[in-house]
Amino acid sequence: MIAGEPSHLDQAPEVRARFTKLKQRPVILDVRDLGKTFTAPGRPPTLALDRISFQLHRRELACVIGPSGCGKSTLARLVAGLEEPSGGEMLLDGKPIHGPGADRGMVFQSYTLFPWLTVLKNVMFGLEVSGTSSSSEAIGEAKLWLELVGLSKFASAYPHQLSGGMKQRVAIARALANRPRILLMDEPFGALDAQTRCQMQSYLLQIWKQVDITIMFITHDLDEAVYLADRILILDAHPGRLREVMEVAVPRPRGPDQFLEPTFIAARRHLEDLIHPRSAQAADKLPLFHMAAAGDDIE
Amino acid sequence: MRGAWSRPLAGLSPRAGAGLWAASFLAPLLIWCAVSYLPFVWHPMVRVTDPGDSTWLTPNLLVEKAAFNAENAEAAAQHARPAVGVPSNPVFLPAPHEVVRALVTGFTTPPARPEEPWLHESLWHSIKVIFWGFLVSSLIGVPLGILCGALPAMGRATEPFIEFFRYLPAPAFGALAVAVLGIEDAPKVAIIFIGTFFQQVLVIANTTRRVDPALLEAAETLGASRRVLITRVVVPGVISDIYTDMRVLLGWAWTYLIVAELIGVSSGITYFINQQAKYRAYERVFASIFLIGLIGLVTDLVLASLGRQLFPWLRTARQGWFSSMVARMRGRAGTSAAEAAGGEGDVTAAPEEVARA
Repeated sequence: MIAGEPSHLDQAPEVRARFTKLKQRPVILDVRDLGKTFTAPGRPPTLALDRISFQLHRRELACVIGPSGCGKSTLARLVAGLEEPSGGEMLLDGKPIHGPGADRGMVFQSYTLFPWLTVLKNVMFGLEVSGTSSSSEAIGEAKLWLELVGLSKFASAYPHQLSGGMKQRVAIARALANRPRILLMDEPFGALDAQTRCQMQSYLLQIWKQVDITIMFITHDLDEAVYLADRILILDAHPGRLREVMEVAVPRPRGPDQFLEPTFIAARRHLEDLIHPRSAQAADKLPLFHMAAAGDDIE
Repeated sequence: MRGAWSRPLAGLSPRAGAGLWAASFLAPLLIWCAVSYLPFVWHPMVRVTDPGDSTWLTPNLLVEKAAFNAENAEAAAQHARPAVGVPSNPVFLPAPHEVVRALVTGFTTPPARPEEPWLHESLWHSIKVIFWGFLVSSLIGVPLGILCGALPAMGRATEPFIEFFRYLPAPAFGALAVAVLGIEDAPKVAIIFIGTFFQQVLVIANTTRRVDPALLEAAETLGASRRVLITRVVVPGVISDIYTDMRVLLGWAWTYLIVAELIGVSSGITYFINQQAKYRAYERVFASIFLIGLIGLVTDLVLASLGRQLFPWLRTARQGWFSSMVARMRGRAGTSAAEAAGGEGDVTAAPEEVARA
């Protein structure tokens, strides 16, 4: 199996040791030969995902990256149980996945807080639905999770009163409050402005450090992937195939100042070469028009 | 800026909004006043004040202007004393002050015959018919509409027939309703029901279909069962829109009232209006029609104001008389409920500016 092999065989010994240790942890998510074909009446079936196999280990933060249309969102939705696979199997803690369940939390790109519930009630939703804890226990627990994402002050606010970044932090708290085995994040910061996105990435790393959670993070942002991930699953488009699993050598703890370090730049460059080959990067030359008055040339 | 109002979706200042609101009522009122009080605007009739030597004119008689002039021309030819009169409008168009007087005295004047109902009794009877018709329709129609909207299979199995049935005019069922339900209020309630129910199911099913599917998916990943999806996501997700639908539907229910009340034993405000028309008391007819409009308008304003307070999660939400009324009732009923609510945090008091910090 080529896809599962580490891409940096010439890693420094301490990096190699780090990933050897990571792979000794128990497997949380085991995806085997997963395939998904979309069929619509009157159209040829499209192969979105083709025989994807990988394993995520306990407390690993893995990013899934690839060009648009590679089926990375579909992969998250399959694991969440929101779509039915066409082939292969997915095991969570060794047990096959069927349909959506509270053991797999998900944070979506669009804001999915329930507008009619306060922030606190949103976080309590999963706890109340499962009915395992009493109402007062649920309140206490939800408050704890709100504190973790730094939004205790907003417990009684309604979602429309929050900024986009705050909404996504509540969504993370809401998903984590269920104590899922894995947290699926489908481009959760994609709709945020660059500055907020950067903040959110740091928040996520802080949260991940404090909670026993495995994260599968879907993104199309190369910097985001390198900044967050232990390993990056790189998908090809049409059909969506797992091209490579890249081990990110950038040491932890990570911080925004690492963006300019050689290991970071090297990792990013490697990703870029895989996803956007240099040849495809240059924009086609547009046909030449002379719309500007003479003397107005800017170059 | 000049002509700012002509920009589509242009915002209105509160003052301009209130002014235009008033103007929308004042403009028709002014037209009515002009027609009533300015003799040269319309006034096709003459009210006789002094019949002169005419053989058939009597004081206070309303005659057409042409007939009046012809009578006077004849009188002039025979050197008789001409009749005198003032220009006036037909009996079916009373002046505003007459209608206002009828409005005030309507509640204090006993009915012409003792077995007839008073104005307020007639109105109350009408309101009861509307209430029961709309309540029964809503008790079945709202849950059914939500289910049809939430579950495509259910909608597919129900809506085509309802779609067909709603084109059948409710008054057409009048005779049938009387045959089945008797001649008292039951068939009237049934007509309101038929007029409301079928529209209601379709409108509410359509509203329910607008629920954000992403919220359903989010709830599923949080472990919600299918029943929970309906009770805790679909219903709260669309309840505020359904409330708005219900306000519109209640207005429709009123439009079926007059027909409904003509069925079986004529009753309510319709009976009252018909009686007053028989007595040629058109100012009371106008007053009654006006009262129906007033009840509709006030109901809608109250419901709109209530809606802004019932759904604190909407941007348009504000605190007001309803929450203070509830707070007062809670305070009177005991403090335990208020304490429980306080423990969870005051849900309506989250200030907007904190969020921007």
